[in-house]
Amino acid sequence: MSKRPSKEMNKYWRVGEPMVWLSGAALTLTLLSAVTLLVVIVMNGLGVFWPSNIEQVKLTDGTAVYGQFVRSEETADGSGLRHQYKIANRDLYGLDFRWIDQTDIASTGHPRDLIVLERSEHGDFYGTLQQLFTVAGNSVAATFDNLQQQLSAAKHDLELLSELEKKLNDASYEMEQMRLTLLKFDYEGVPAGALERQELEQRKSELDARFADLIELQTRRVDDARKAKAVFADAGGRGKEVVLLDIVQAYTPNTMSTTDKVIFYGGKLVELVAGEPRESNTEGGLFPAIFGTVMLIFVMSLFSFPFGVIAAIYLREYAKEGPLVRIVRIAVNNLAGIPSIVYGIFGLGFFVYGIGHSIDALFFPERLPTPTFGTGGLLWASLTLALLTVPVVIVSTEEALGAIPREMREGSYALGATKFQTLYRVLLPMASPGIMTGLILAMARAAGEVAPLMITGVVKLAPALPIDGNFPFVHLDRKFMHLGFHIYDIGFQSPNVEAAKPMVFVTTLLLVLIVLLMSSVAIRLRNKMKKRYTFGTF
Amino acid sequence: MNQAFRKKIKRNDRIARWVITVGGMAIIFSVIFILVLIAKVSLPLFLPPDAELHASTRMPRVENIRAVGMDEYLETGYVIDASGTIRFFNVKDGAPLDQELLSGAGGNRSLLAVETYGRLNHVLRWSDGSLTIDQVKFRPYFDAENDNRRSILHRVESLASFPVPATGPGVQTLARVGGEGRQVRIDLYSDNRLLVQLIEVSENFLGEEEVTEAEHQLAFDTAGDVSALVLSSDGTRLYAGTKQGELLRWDLSDSEEPTLLEKIQAFADRREITVLNLVYGDVSLAVGDSTGQVTTWFPVRDDSGVWKLTRIHDLSRHSAPVAAISPSPRDKSVISFSSEGLLVDHMTSERSLLSLGRKDRLQLYSMTTRGNAIMGLTDDGRLQSWKLEIPHPEVSLGTLFGKVWYEGYDEPVYAWQSSAATDDYEPKLSLTPLIFGTLKGTFYAMLLAVPLAIFGAIYTSQFARPRLRALIKPAVEVMAAIPTVIIGFLAALWLAPLIERSLGSLFLSLVLVPAALMISILAWQGARKIEPLRRLERGFEFLAVAPVVILAMAIAAGLGPGLEQTFFAGDLKQWLFTEMGTRYDPRNCIIIAFAMGFAVIPIVFTIAEDSLSNVPSSLKAASLALGASRWQTVWRVILPSASPGIFAGTMIGFGRAVGETMIVLMATGNTAIMDLSIFNGMRPLSANIAVEIPEAPVDGSLYRTLFLSAVILFVMTFIVNTVAEIVRQRLRAKYGRF
Repeated sequence: MSKRPSKEMNKYWRVGEPMVWLSGAALTLTLLSAVTLLVVIVMNGLGVFWPSNIEQVKLTDGTAVYGQFVRSEETADGSGLRHQYKIANRDLYGLDFRWIDQTDIASTGHPRDLIVLERSEHGDFYGTLQQLFTVAGNSVAATFDNLQQQLSAAKHDLELLSELEKKLNDASYEMEQMRLTLLKFDYEGVPAGALERQELEQRKSELDARFADLIELQTRRVDDARKAKAVFADAGGRGKEVVLLDIVQAYTPNTMSTTDKVIFYGGKLVELVAGEPRESNTEGGLFPAIFGTVMLIFVMSLFSFPFGVIAAIYLREYAKEGPLVRIVRIAVNNLAGIPSIVYGIFGLGFFVYGIGHSIDALFFPERLPTPTFGTGGLLWASLTLALLTVPVVIVSTEEALGAIPREMREGSYALGATKFQTLYRVLLPMASPGIMTGLILAMARAAGEVAPLMITGVVKLAPALPIDGNFPFVHLDRKFMHLGFHIYDIGFQSPNVEAAKPMVFVTTLLLVLIVLLMSSVAIRLRNKMKKRYTFGTF
Repeated sequence: MNQAFRKKIKRNDRIARWVITVGGMAIIFSVIFILVLIAKVSLPLFLPPDAELHASTRMPRVENIRAVGMDEYLETGYVIDASGTIRFFNVKDGAPLDQELLSGAGGNRSLLAVETYGRLNHVLRWSDGSLTIDQVKFRPYFDAENDNRRSILHRVESLASFPVPATGPGVQTLARVGGEGRQVRIDLYSDNRLLVQLIEVSENFLGEEEVTEAEHQLAFDTAGDVSALVLSSDGTRLYAGTKQGELLRWDLSDSEEPTLLEKIQAFADRREITVLNLVYGDVSLAVGDSTGQVTTWFPVRDDSGVWKLTRIHDLSRHSAPVAAISPSPRDKSVISFSSEGLLVDHMTSERSLLSLGRKDRLQLYSMTTRGNAIMGLTDDGRLQSWKLEIPHPEVSLGTLFGKVWYEGYDEPVYAWQSSAATDDYEPKLSLTPLIFGTLKGTFYAMLLAVPLAIFGAIYTSQFARPRLRALIKPAVEVMAAIPTVIIGFLAALWLAPLIERSLGSLFLSLVLVPAALMISILAWQGARKIEPLRRLERGFEFLAVAPVVILAMAIAAGLGPGLEQTFFAGDLKQWLFTEMGTRYDPRNCIIIAFAMGFAVIPIVFTIAEDSLSNVPSSLKAASLALGASRWQTVWRVILPSASPGIFAGTMIGFGRAVGETMIVLMATGNTAIMDLSIFNGMRPLSANIAVEIPEAPVDGSLYRTLFLSAVILFVMTFIVNTVAEIVRQRLRAKYGRF
């Protein structure tokens, strides 16, 4: 009786059943790490905009702070817990976060009159409203409702001001164009008295005058609008005067109901997608980065999609199968594995310094040494990425064409169709899911790729979008922003990494969602196709 | 069907065929061709230098020329003759421009000799024993009135003048003007005495100028007479060489007390040291001897902490004694001169760059301040100028891949340090530490990724339920799409601090997780007898294992701090440093292994899984029918058939890890050290390119070296990918499926 289990045990080991379990454990570890990554991103990313309650922490030494609880950990000497609070008010305290030992806390509470201000500078402010002044300089009752009323008035002012600023931007763009035209005249040797030159100078002086008027108007309006102020007090009673124009939003998290908070959260999400970044990209929205990413993917697809598909059609349908084609096929498959930084350095050397410099020398010699196309920009970054993704498109298009059964082609030929007709009417429609798969995978790769962009034209803050209302409307020579680079930049180049972290996680979450969505659609498409005509992919 | 329509179709078909063929071929070849262009950018690094004869003219009616020189635009040259007159002339045709008398000339003094140092500073030695220092300055001038035409303006500036010492002039003299009002004159007498005269102008605390003068006799004892002398350009260090091959070194920085720092027997064969000079930057001493050999030396600290002049680089060898050595005023190149002509060498790379004027019997020569041309005077009075093309003298295969003894280092090292604050810096462009970093990071990443990916793939393809498999495969493929910038960011800002806090727990879990697995497998022996649980065995094992793994990790996390407290005095990192001598960097190979492993796993997994599931099921069925267990079938039958595919997957994963940029850029710390320790970071090729290329001047040595490192990356990945691709194509042919 006692022998039987051990015999069974031996057999169990001999047939290798534990190895099956161990290989299962390898899969478990792989999937666990992926799940952990997603959980970390989602946990950190989703909570950023939730308006958590703010505590008033009274300390045993008599002082008090307002803070949003972040986390607890054991103290270094293991004697108890300490809590991290976000205390905001960077301009008063210098730091955004503070550790408080459990033993130092006398009591905590959630004061209902506490207001959180989102400001356009210096981060958030936690405090209570003390005094409120209107634009006319009158003092009004310091209530939250009055504050909101005044804030909406300020918002109206801000809209007027931003309209004015848009006019100013247009005028300065026009002035820049005139300056460049004048440079061109100089370069082409148009004499000082020539008609077109005089005309231009005339227009320039008119514009200068208009510009000066606009500037003056703006200064006056800003001065007026900045008279609306409010005085807030921090937990210690220290007063802080805040100009209403500088307040982006004010809310009272401790009195908000869950519904209010959900609405607030939704508003923040809209701001994230549609708003401009503030405070060196650590606050505000991601609109320019999203726009730049989309634009980059679009321009890249314009190049890589047609070229990749044509190359694949050639390889699969027209080229004669032989050693040369085999070598080419290996080379193309190989290109998909070349490190992206190698493409990047190629883009820099060939597009930016090679073609870009030639374009400058040919078409914009008057602007030199200021480069136009001879520096990194959207066009060069897109071309570099197109080069990087062309192999992906070629490989998947080829696989899709190769998966179509031979009978399809033969049937088409038998009915008298030419090769091109067969291709156009039969093969391409049938291969379209596969081609789409390649395109989507290429786009997903472009959305996540950062290294080659860093050296071909991405910047942390682009002064203008690549598309705007000024002729010729699409400016491919401009530098642009990108979600992936945004993560690298604010996570690693930002002066205040701790304060920037929430924004990095939000951007990460957004990018992960975009990329995962794109690639799961691509994989679904491909699996669908696989089911239609079974083929292997190795 | 009418004729016209048929014609149209045929025409369309021909056009399409033509467009697609030409277009397709053009696209494919351009994609391949442009990558060749990268190699083309780095190629000039290895081009041989070139010197082109620029002009050869004659100055009429000028004799006894003591010095020659030229501006860096190769337009205006000058000669200084024995009367102390400097005459400027047009380099191309020899037409005289203007002339002036130098400040020291006058009376019946004539000019005996001229020594040139720095940026065309001429130390003039007059027949009465006095010395003057004059500098010739050139400045380009753009004439706004005359269409911005460039012309070169020149002027002569008198820097210092030294009177004759009371003891009379020596047989050999030297003088320098330092930057801070320091003037030094050295006289060597035939009885082997050295006289040092120092004049220091300093400002006292009242802002008044104070002049201190000092005179010292330097006492020393050598076997041979002093035959060569050189003074650093700030006048603080003096070197002497003797006829018996000895080298002496003095420190003159303290004007009260010059000290003899050392005296060494430089050459065991007691050959005569004929000439000394200092290489640009005044750290290395170039020594020319009677055998024609040029060597460079600098002080290195020996074991007892004493600085000793050490022979570092051996440069070219003349077949006649070296008559003169002068440094390039631009980089670490050394020009040496003998009756055989001029040789140009680069010190760091020990490359012999050029040989000039072998046939011309040169008497005098001088290099322009930009180091782009040399002017020489032949013995028949012709003024010959050469334009030099030495684009990258500091780069050679030795400096790129070998150990090099850089200035200020105790021994030859592999080092990457491309730039520094000063101009006279010796660039360190060794790619070895970067390649090492790349391989090190890749190694640790593969160490983690390959077993997990392959065993995971085996499980997924062979043991998991088909329904689960249809979920796992896409999930892992989606994992591959996660941008590496995100993985890198999480690794650096989330994982690195986490691991730093709980290093003990990490190591504990390395023990606990396998142990827990083993225990649970044993425990399963009992549990599997219960029928409903037994069903778990078929295809759900990985889910059943998950709680065990998580539990083991949780226990490790809980026990970790206690373990550190008990065995490692509370801090494992500190213990590693004190007991093992290993420094713990917060961004290290553990982080890289996890992060890059995470990026590589899906690639290896997908390809391995594909090849495993493409093994014909008849093989599997046959093996099972013969009574093999499912693991035996996998291990003995399926795995060998699929091994080329698994190998290909591993290779492609390797290629991916080698070229990965963002993860290593963010999570390695980017220090170019060569240390195998898992607790240190590194600097891989890819991150190095990303960090340095934005600051690299176009077409400079750094720029081309970075392109070269891109070529190396390209070649590394190209080779592994090609191998993998060929293996896969064979596999495809074998199983007849695409």
